[in-house]
Amino acid sequence: MHIPDGILPLSVTGAGYGATAFTTWFSIRKIRQKEDPRRDVPKASLLTAAFFVASWIHIPMPPTSVHLVLNGLLGALLGYYAFPAILIGLFFQAVMFGHGGLTTLGVNAMIMGLPAIVAHYIFRLRKRGGESQRKTGVFGFLSGALAMGISVAMFVVILLTNLPAEINVISERAAIYALAIAHVPLIFIEGAIAALITVFLRRVRPGILDGV
Amino acid sequence: MRLLIDEYTGLESPLHRWDPRYKLVGLVTLVFAFSFVRDLRMLLAMAAVTITVYAVSRLPATFVAKRFRYPSFFLVAILLTLPFLSGESVIATWGPVAVHQEGLLAAILIATRFTCILIIGMVLLGTTPLLTNIKAMRSLGLPDIMADMALLSFRYLQEIGRDLRNMQTAMRLRGFRARRLSRRGLKVLAWLGGSLLVYSYERSESIYRAMILRGYGHAPPPKHEFQASSRDTLILVAVILVTVGFIIGDIALGHNTAALLQ
Repeated sequence: MHIPDGILPLSVTGAGYGATAFTTWFSIRKIRQKEDPRRDVPKASLLTAAFFVASWIHIPMPPTSVHLVLNGLLGALLGYYAFPAILIGLFFQAVMFGHGGLTTLGVNAMIMGLPAIVAHYIFRLRKRGGESQRKTGVFGFLSGALAMGISVAMFVVILLTNLPAEINVISERAAIYALAIAHVPLIFIEGAIAALITVFLRRVRPGILDGV
Repeated sequence: MRLLIDEYTGLESPLHRWDPRYKLVGLVTLVFAFSFVRDLRMLLAMAAVTITVYAVSRLPATFVAKRFRYPSFFLVAILLTLPFLSGESVIATWGPVAVHQEGLLAAILIATRFTCILIIGMVLLGTTPLLTNIKAMRSLGLPDIMADMALLSFRYLQEIGRDLRNMQTAMRLRGFRARRLSRRGLKVLAWLGGSLLVYSYERSESIYRAMILRGYGHAPPPKHEFQASSRDTLILVAVILVTVGFIIGDIALGHNTAALLQ
């Protein structure tokens, strides 16, 4: 779900970098407001690497398999570190595997990172009126599924409205529906995995759920 | 940790010797100019510049071939869909299938831009070690927190990757096979991901203590080791001129994929 180089015009890639620079500045500003901002850097860094590696886990969906995105869960656990973490992860993916691209790094960071920040706020709601395992699972599911859903919507809209080609309305609508329907199972899988992992962490190491 | 992308960073070429900060600025500006181009004639110039830059870098052809394995799927998808779905002017038909001129031009535009940007990106990343590139970004204004996160994440990627492989091997030895989507299978895979997060979280605590012992957060930020010569500046000026040339040339030619045909 990364937009490669070459498709988007300069205005969109430039706007993507601008929006990414602003969101990164906002995140770093929030991080610096902490008492000791450097204290959590190792935690955030190792969790960034762990999320990067966890995205290599393949979920079987016969006749194929899908890999996890986990941007919602990353947002839920890393909070304001999530956006810089996603930016770093996308840069490594472009460098190591050629996924995404250099000019589209900003746009892809917004597609993955903005929903992660939304997921962070959603996951925080579980503490209202007392926390329980059930609520952790429900809000874990919501943060994972909604983040994936928003990412899919942003990806489809940005891709189809910026192709340097006129696609007739019927084909465009069909492509949007096809892409959206193809991603529905992934949205549920992301939600389910986020719910199962948050419940697992609550039992094994609840401190991680309090955020970095 | 040695990456495939770092395989040829030890070669000797003008691009290998170019100051990493100037190389970042110059080549990133160039790829953005590539993403601006829409005229078919400028695409030829873009291909010529890309081939020249790659030749000057002395990176072997196999380096680019290896890196094209995954992106080639995208190229094939673009070339197989756009000429048939986009546009109104039919230039060829095979039974019910029609090839449209507008879609074909768009596919050529996307495929050329994509290939050229990818190759220049590979020159940028393949002629300087990744760690040096991150340090260059820091000296260009990347916030310290992000540079530290990038360096630390990179440092532990391989170890965490090894943890994942070990855990997957252990799961297989205990008879786990993820062949179909099931509730139990999802639960086991989620616990695998969760265990990976717990291991990394616990490891980060001892790493933090070790970093504190070495003065992390109290020592002055490291000074960058880069020193640009007038030769580095000259190369940067040349690349910026080429970049400006692409933008002015494309605007002068109409900034339109179909301009040549009108």
